Amino acid sequence: MDKLAAGWRIQRRVISALMIRELVTRFGRENIGFLWIMVEPLLFAVLVGIVWRFMKGPEEHGVSVVAFVASGYIPLTLFRNAVGRSVRVFSVNGSLMYHRQIKVLDFIFVRFLIEMIGAMMAYLFIGTLLILLNEFPVPADLGAFFTGWFLYCLFSFSLCLVLAPLSEMSDVLEKFMPVTIYIMIPFSGTFAMVSWLTPEAQNAMYYSPFVHAMELMRQGIFGSRVDAHYDVAVPLAASLVSALIGLGLCRRIRRHLVVE
Amino acid sequence: MISCERLTKSYPMGSGRKQVLRGVDLQIEPGEHVGFLGRNGAGKTTLIKLIGGVEMPTSGRIHRHMSVSWPLGFGGGFQGSLTGYDNARFIARIYGHEYKEIRDFVEDFTELGPQLKMPVKTYSSGMRARLAFALSLAIEFDCYLIDEIIMVGDANFHKKCHHELFEKRRDRALVLASHSPETIREFCDRAVVLNQGQAKIYADVNEGLEVYAGL
Repeated sequence: MDKLAAGWRIQRRVISALMIRELVTRFGRENIGFLWIMVEPLLFAVLVGIVWRFMKGPEEHGVSVVAFVASGYIPLTLFRNAVGRSVRVFSVNGSLMYHRQIKVLDFIFVRFLIEMIGAMMAYLFIGTLLILLNEFPVPADLGAFFTGWFLYCLFSFSLCLVLAPLSEMSDVLEKFMPVTIYIMIPFSGTFAMVSWLTPEAQNAMYYSPFVHAMELMRQGIFGSRVDAHYDVAVPLAASLVSALIGLGLCRRIRRHLVVE
Repeated sequence: MISCERLTKSYPMGSGRKQVLRGVDLQIEPGEHVGFLGRNGAGKTTLIKLIGGVEMPTSGRIHRHMSVSWPLGFGGGFQGSLTGYDNARFIARIYGHEYKEIRDFVEDFTELGPQLKMPVKTYSSGMRARLAFALSLAIEFDCYLIDEIIMVGDANFHKKCHHELFEKRRDRALVLASHSPETIREFCDRAVVLNQGQAKIYADVNEGLEVYAGL
C-alpha cells in the first residue's frame, strides 16, 4: 500500500514536471505563452462558424448554426491534435527514458492532457463570448455536457494509446493517418445530429463511439431543442478495448525501444 | 547492490539481429568502482544503458537495491531545446528536489555562467559533461554510471570531479566505461572486459587492462 502511495506521488510529480516542460518547449515564455494552446481550436470554431453562418443562415433545425459548429469543431480539433501529437511520441521523447521514474504512459498522457486543457479553455472562451452575443444558448444540462465531453476525451485518449506505439512500428501508418482522419470526420457527429439523418445513416452512426459522446454534449448544450440519440455503453466499451490493446502495445514498444 | 543476471541484448540488423550481449552476469556492490573495458561496439554503452534502465534487456533480469544515476554520456538525459536552467528545473522536479539548491550547486560546479540561459544543444561536449555531472551530483545517487564523458573535460573539470566524486563521495559505487587505461587504473578497483558479448571480471585492474590491450 505504501509502495503504491509512493508510486502515485512520484507519477504526479513526473506528470506536472512533464506538463511544464512540454508547455515551455512548445510555446516558450514569450508573448501569450501557453495561451497559444487554445488559439487553434478557437480559430477553427470561429472561422468555420462564420463561413457556415453565411452559407446556411442563422439557424438550422431550430439551433444556431454558429453554436452548432463551435460545439462540434472544438472536440474534433481536440481529437485531431491529440492523435497528431501522439505520432512518434517515443522517438522524440527518447531523452526522457534516461530517467527511470518517467514511464511511457506519462508522456502520452501529458500530451493528451495539454490538448484537452487547450480545447476546454477555447470552449469556455468561445462559449462565453457567444452567449454574450446571443449566438449560443446557456447550457441546458452541464452534467450531460461533461459526461459527453469525458466520453469523447476518453475515447480519443484510448485511440492515442494505440496509435502512439503503432506509429513507431511502421512508417506507413504516419502516411495514412491524415486521410483516415479526414474520412472519419462525417462519422464524428460534428456536422449533424443523428436525428437529422436518414435511417440508413443513423444505423451507421450508431457504431461510431464519437457520435454518442457528441450527441450527449449537444443535449447538454441545446437541451430539448435537439433530439439526442446516444448509448453511453458504446464509447465506454470501445475505449476499454482500445485502451487494453494500446497498453499492451506500449509495453511491447518500451521493451524494444532503442534510445540514442 | 545491483545484480545483473544472464543479460542478453540484441538489436535488429537488416533481416537478422545483432547479438550485443550474450548472457552477462555482474554484481556491483555499494562503494565499488568498476571499470568497463572493451573495443568499440563491444557493448559497454549498451550494458550501461541496461543497468540505468534506459533500455530493456532482451532477456535476463536486473535488480537494483541502491539508487542508480542515469547514464552520464554524450547523448541523452537532456532536452536540447531547453536551456541549462530549464533542464535543471526539470530534473529537480522529477527527482523531487528543491530547485534552488540544485541551481546553486549547478552554477558553482559548472562555472558556465550566462551560458546556462542558452539551449543545451548549443553546448560543447565538455559543457554538457559539466552540466550532466553537476545535476547528478546534486541529486545524490548511490551509484553513478559514467560512459566515457569524464574524459572530455578540461583540467579544471577533472579536478572538480575528482574532489566531488572521488573524495567527497568515495563511499558511492561507480561504473566507468573508458578506453583510457590511466583513467581505469586511477579510479577503479575492478575491471570488466567485454568481448564478443561476454563479460569477464578481473579483481586485479592491471590484469584486466592487459587482457584488454591484447584484444
